[in-house]
Amino acid sequence: MRNRRLPLLIVLALIGVALIWGGVARAQDSAQTAPQPTPAAAPIHPVFPLLDDAGDNVLDSGRAISTMTTCGGCHDTAFIAANFYHADAGLSTFGEGGATAGGHAWDIGQGIFGRWNPIVYRLLSAEGDDVLDLTTPEWVQVWGARHVGGGPATTSRAGEPLVALEPGASVETTIIDPQTGAAQPWDWTQSGVVEINCFLCHWPNANNEARLAALADGRFADAATATLEGSGIVVAADGAAAAGNWDYQAEAFDEAGNLRREYVRVGDPTVANCGACHGVTHNDLGTPLAFDTLTAGDWTTLTTGQVMSPQRIAASGLNLADKATLSRSWDVHMERVLDCTDCHYSLNNPVYYRETGDDAPAHLDFDPRRIDLGEYVYRPLHQFAKGQSAQGALAQDYDETMRRCESCHSVARTHDWLPYKDRHMSAVACEACHTPRLYAPALQSVDWTVLDADGEPVRSYRGIEGEALGATTLITGYEPVLLPRTDSDGATRLMPYNLISSWYWVYGDPAKPAPLRLLRAAYFDGEAYAPAILAAFDADGDGQLTTAELNITTDAQTAAVAGRLAALGLADPRIAGEVQPYGINHGTATDEWATKECRDCHGSDSRLAATITLSDRTPGGVVPALPVVGAGQVGAGLRPAPTSAPTWPGEVIADGSALRYAPDTAAAGLYVLGHNAVDLIDWLGILMVLGVLVGIFVHAGLRFRAARRASRGGSETRPYIQVEDEDGRGGSQTRPYTRAEDEASRGGSQTRPYTRPYPADAPVATHQVYMYDVYERLWHWLQTAAILLLLFTGLIIHKPDKFGVFSFSYVVQVHNILALLLVLNAGLSLLYHLASGEIRQYIPRPRGFFDDAFKQALYYVRGIFSREPHPFAKTRDRKLNPLQQITYVMVLNVLLPAQIITGALMWGAQRWPDVTAALGGLTWLGPLHTLVAWSFAAFIILHVYLTTTGPTPTAGIRAMIGGYEDVEVHETQPAATTAD
Amino acid sequence: MKQFRYLWVIGLVVTALIIAVPVLLFASSGNEASPDPWAYVAPTPSHTNHAALMAGPYASGQEVTAACLECHETAAQEMMQTTHWTWESEPVLLPGRDEPVTIGKKNQINNFCIGIQGNWTGCTKCHAGYGWSDASYDFSEQTNVDCLVCHADPGLYGKGESGNPAEGADLVAAAGSVRRPTRQNCGSCHFNGGGGNAVKHGDMDESLYYPDETLDVHMGRYDFECVDCHAGDDHQILGHSISVSSEVKASAVACTDCHTEPIHADARITAHTDAIACQTCHIPEGALRHATKVDWDWSTAGQDLPEDPHVYLKIKGNFVYEHDYRPIYGWWNGAADRYIVGDLIDPTQVTNINTPLGDISDATAKIYPFKIHTARQPYDVLNQYLLVPMTAGEGGFWDTFDWDSAFRLNEVNTGLAFSGEYGFAPTQMYWSMDHMVQPKENALQCYDCHGENGRMDWEALGYNGDPMEWGGRQ
Repeated sequence: MRNRRLPLLIVLALIGVALIWGGVARAQDSAQTAPQPTPAAAPIHPVFPLLDDAGDNVLDSGRAISTMTTCGGCHDTAFIAANFYHADAGLSTFGEGGATAGGHAWDIGQGIFGRWNPIVYRLLSAEGDDVLDLTTPEWVQVWGARHVGGGPATTSRAGEPLVALEPGASVETTIIDPQTGAAQPWDWTQSGVVEINCFLCHWPNANNEARLAALADGRFADAATATLEGSGIVVAADGAAAAGNWDYQAEAFDEAGNLRREYVRVGDPTVANCGACHGVTHNDLGTPLAFDTLTAGDWTTLTTGQVMSPQRIAASGLNLADKATLSRSWDVHMERVLDCTDCHYSLNNPVYYRETGDDAPAHLDFDPRRIDLGEYVYRPLHQFAKGQSAQGALAQDYDETMRRCESCHSVARTHDWLPYKDRHMSAVACEACHTPRLYAPALQSVDWTVLDADGEPVRSYRGIEGEALGATTLITGYEPVLLPRTDSDGATRLMPYNLISSWYWVYGDPAKPAPLRLLRAAYFDGEAYAPAILAAFDADGDGQLTTAELNITTDAQTAAVAGRLAALGLADPRIAGEVQPYGINHGTATDEWATKECRDCHGSDSRLAATITLSDRTPGGVVPALPVVGAGQVGAGLRPAPTSAPTWPGEVIADGSALRYAPDTAAAGLYVLGHNAVDLIDWLGILMVLGVLVGIFVHAGLRFRAARRASRGGSETRPYIQVEDEDGRGGSQTRPYTRAEDEASRGGSQTRPYTRPYPADAPVATHQVYMYDVYERLWHWLQTAAILLLLFTGLIIHKPDKFGVFSFSYVVQVHNILALLLVLNAGLSLLYHLASGEIRQYIPRPRGFFDDAFKQALYYVRGIFSREPHPFAKTRDRKLNPLQQITYVMVLNVLLPAQIITGALMWGAQRWPDVTAALGGLTWLGPLHTLVAWSFAAFIILHVYLTTTGPTPTAGIRAMIGGYEDVEVHETQPAATTAD
Repeated sequence: MKQFRYLWVIGLVVTALIIAVPVLLFASSGNEASPDPWAYVAPTPSHTNHAALMAGPYASGQEVTAACLECHETAAQEMMQTTHWTWESEPVLLPGRDEPVTIGKKNQINNFCIGIQGNWTGCTKCHAGYGWSDASYDFSEQTNVDCLVCHADPGLYGKGESGNPAEGADLVAAAGSVRRPTRQNCGSCHFNGGGGNAVKHGDMDESLYYPDETLDVHMGRYDFECVDCHAGDDHQILGHSISVSSEVKASAVACTDCHTEPIHADARITAHTDAIACQTCHIPEGALRHATKVDWDWSTAGQDLPEDPHVYLKIKGNFVYEHDYRPIYGWWNGAADRYIVGDLIDPTQVTNINTPLGDISDATAKIYPFKIHTARQPYDVLNQYLLVPMTAGEGGFWDTFDWDSAFRLNEVNTGLAFSGEYGFAPTQMYWSMDHMVQPKENALQCYDCHGENGRMDWEALGYNGDPMEWGGRQ
């Protein structure tokens, strides 16, 4: 029923929209051209007149186009302006500066209106500032490259129209003359305001350059009209750039004064529209992508190297290293025909299905009551779905309204090759692997403490060879650094970031960055460097300052600049530095190009801990500060830290004058197998093993010496006795036996298997006992093999770099399977010992235990050297001496369970992450598992050695193979007193 | 003693088995062996050096063939069954016709040099036989089969007029060099169709003699010879060209002969293969190294204009060549309609010489890439059919530059009466693009067709709109 009604609703909605548009169109123009051939590509937007701000047709008035009145004819432009964070730019939260992670104490806003950024450098001045920098009119000019209009470009900080303000009365109606530094009044009624520029985003091939030129000229009202230059609709009158001086082209309009249909190109924002302010985009496959500069208008590319293009990188026109091999596209989503608005869509766009909210009644899976297309077209919400940005403090209410990777991509049905899939997904963001490398240059550092001859800072870029960015620069690309980010779901995952370091002069208390105007005055006298500056920096005395010379490395240089700044009235000028993280969420690659090799992360050179160069310079010796997050951050307490801020596990390493940042996975709460080895544990383990080995060598050496001495000294020997095990059941019938007899009975030439290398002439009276039945032997050897292989595979997992020939993931799987075998074997064996009562052999009896244990220990340190008999007879029913008992109690009740539990939890990090986390997480379990593994290694070495302490060195091992053991004859000595 | 000496061996085996079996069963190494392309290719027969066997001397090509036939007794008979020899298909019933017709170079025309009738001496340079100089050629004479053109080293052998050995060819050396055909053997004709290198096909030219992997993945990366794919028994070479074959041929070489499921890791791409031929994505462009001819205007021939083989020749008229040719895409089910000599034309409309059959409603049709060669070629204004001029033949247009005599002289060869009034009518011809295959690194991607200014004209292909959004054919 629902299914049948839904199409009907859609049809009705479409009819509604058609009626609205139809009505508009009928009122405007009845002479419509024939429908376009392709419905999908057909311009659906009806024809319309261009109106000025008075609502008059510009054909009549000749004035600039007002988008508010033109577009407002059909769309609720007031609604759009009021709900549009691109326009608001922080005006609505103005005054709440400095409260956000990565922000600055001198910020007076949260959006680009009031939030200072060292890349752009200019500081929006607050009312009452002693030293003015960026007044509102100049902000419009400087930030116009990244601001669509509206918001602070139309409305004052107090919420009044800018045109209503008295010129010269405040920082909003003043502009600084860059030559004199004097404040001049700014008359908004003359310049006009910058209305929201609908064309900039909705007009293909919008003329952004003309728009920026109009803004730079202070012709604010002309910005929207300039955006249409080149469309055939309007040209600047006489080619002159004078305010409001426009020639509207008659051929673009019909008799009714509407734009002709073929000139109406309004549509969804294209990738190029978004790219005008957000970064380098390119969706023309026919021409190679190329650029040789990056400006603030290429923001995302400038700050991270992300390029949005479906083109294969190899087909681009950039001078890229190994370009021919780069058959991947710049961004796989672009290549798969998504554009920006498919993810960053208008939040009330009914095309994008939104799940019925949690507050819906339980019986409703789908709530069809939503706005229809007509309503949407009238009031399209211009709050767009967004993620969260490390730098953006704007519109935090809309953080993570966007679909994330996993909203569209099923992780469950992919990544089958990846062991511990869920564990990986909970620790590593998709981007960390799927944006392994950026292939465009990105800003690395900006040094505003010095100015080059053009009055610009010294910038350096990562991902290029050499320093300068230009058409011939060899671009090598760079690997982003991975830092943990806490998402709104509370999970912390590693995300790729670029880190941009910056240095700049601040002055006064509270501190503020030195205005660029004064900084330039400090460096230059007129066009040339000031003599004091030249004297301080011009090392080679050629009168020119190179980039290398423009680097504050001495106190004298610091003092020279500081002195000049102080002379300009800036109190206590000093250098500050900081590192800004810029998150990377685009430039996505398919699986083929993603980080996939286990050892890229699970190894000593882990990708997760790869250092990233911060800068090749440290101006003034100031190590740049990492942004403080959480309670200690600047302005803490005003509002909670945004979840987007990365925490900073790691450290800045000074490397000469260069600086590197080294992330620390352990500090980030991650224990990366194969990477995060705790050295202390390993040394402890090695010492343990070495200690055992040394002990064994000493003990064996003493035994050997004692044996030789015994044979030389011809000490009294006891008769050699061969057991004839007649019932095959471990009976102990004995009779004297000579070696000759023995050999004869064996068939002559055959060597006695227990002929000993030493002491050759000291035969011990032994008899043969059926000591271990088949099952006991099987489980023993199975366990032996499992433990040895577990130790070996564990070692590979622990130090994969040392065992490059093994596939990491395969070894992990083998380790897990072996572990399961070991547990099963141990379980079966326990069952056997319980059922058969053999378990008693392992249980030390309290009575007399210490005496017995001491006796046994004494035997090992003394008696064994003088060839005394073992203190306790080894019998089928009592195989273990007291020391063995206590050892096995420890091994089987402490070590083995500890290893099984820690191992299971590490394995379970995949399945029961909460349990693992509650028990300390991998950072605790991993080292513990390693320590126990070392203990096992030590135990096994000791265990093997002690098997040689029987009547003959191999008697123990042979018994464990064949079941029969030669044991000493204890004619007088009873079994241990602890026996039953 | 009940101890068994080799008990430890059994114990070791049992222990090893208990451990190895679950490990081998449950741990996957994740290593997938990359397929060996040669596994799909018939093994190359061992080479026998014929230098000693073919001692000569040989006075003519026919004598060489006779020597070949001493051992390869059936070779000539086999060859004579092939279109390399007959230049003519079996009779085929074309749509809208009552009688089956045979189609081939022998009797039909194209829109390059037009037709071989009357021009045999020039055209049969590429016939796999000797001495085809007129209509009376004896197709049953076994020694007329030219073994050398396919089997001798082309550096030692070439063909001249009427397909006879070129003047001065050392037949003993050539005969001693025989071997499995190389790209050079096939290319000597197939790369030079239409009168020169790269003229005709767009996907085959002399750059394939020494291909790198960016030119053709099979020949460049894996060093395939033509006959590795175009194999076949009894000299019946597998293959199919829409220019001369109007039928769906079982003997066509298909990508799927080797590339079996699963073809693509991404199921969406594999789904494309229901409607899209492999070539469409994997041959994004033709004429990668040498420009190919895309237009030939015969109407300007015969004038004394500056000559440039890629722009204008007095004997042929004006040309347009294109580098990095972007294919035209259309439905094709493997069959084609065909202009048959004598068919009436509408000179105001473009006449298709060969029209690929199939459309969106034809389940056997897929979208293929084509090179389209357009021409203005002579037609009889009164009789309303395309004419076949005598060009290369004696006293033909290339000697006299007189169209009238060129048509009149050829009446006897073509059976086309010439009314005395000729004009030039637009024609076009489809050439399927099957070579210069690119691996996935260079294949088309989604955006190429589904993005802005994509390659496909969805409506012309019969879709409502981009099938990515509107859905594919049912």
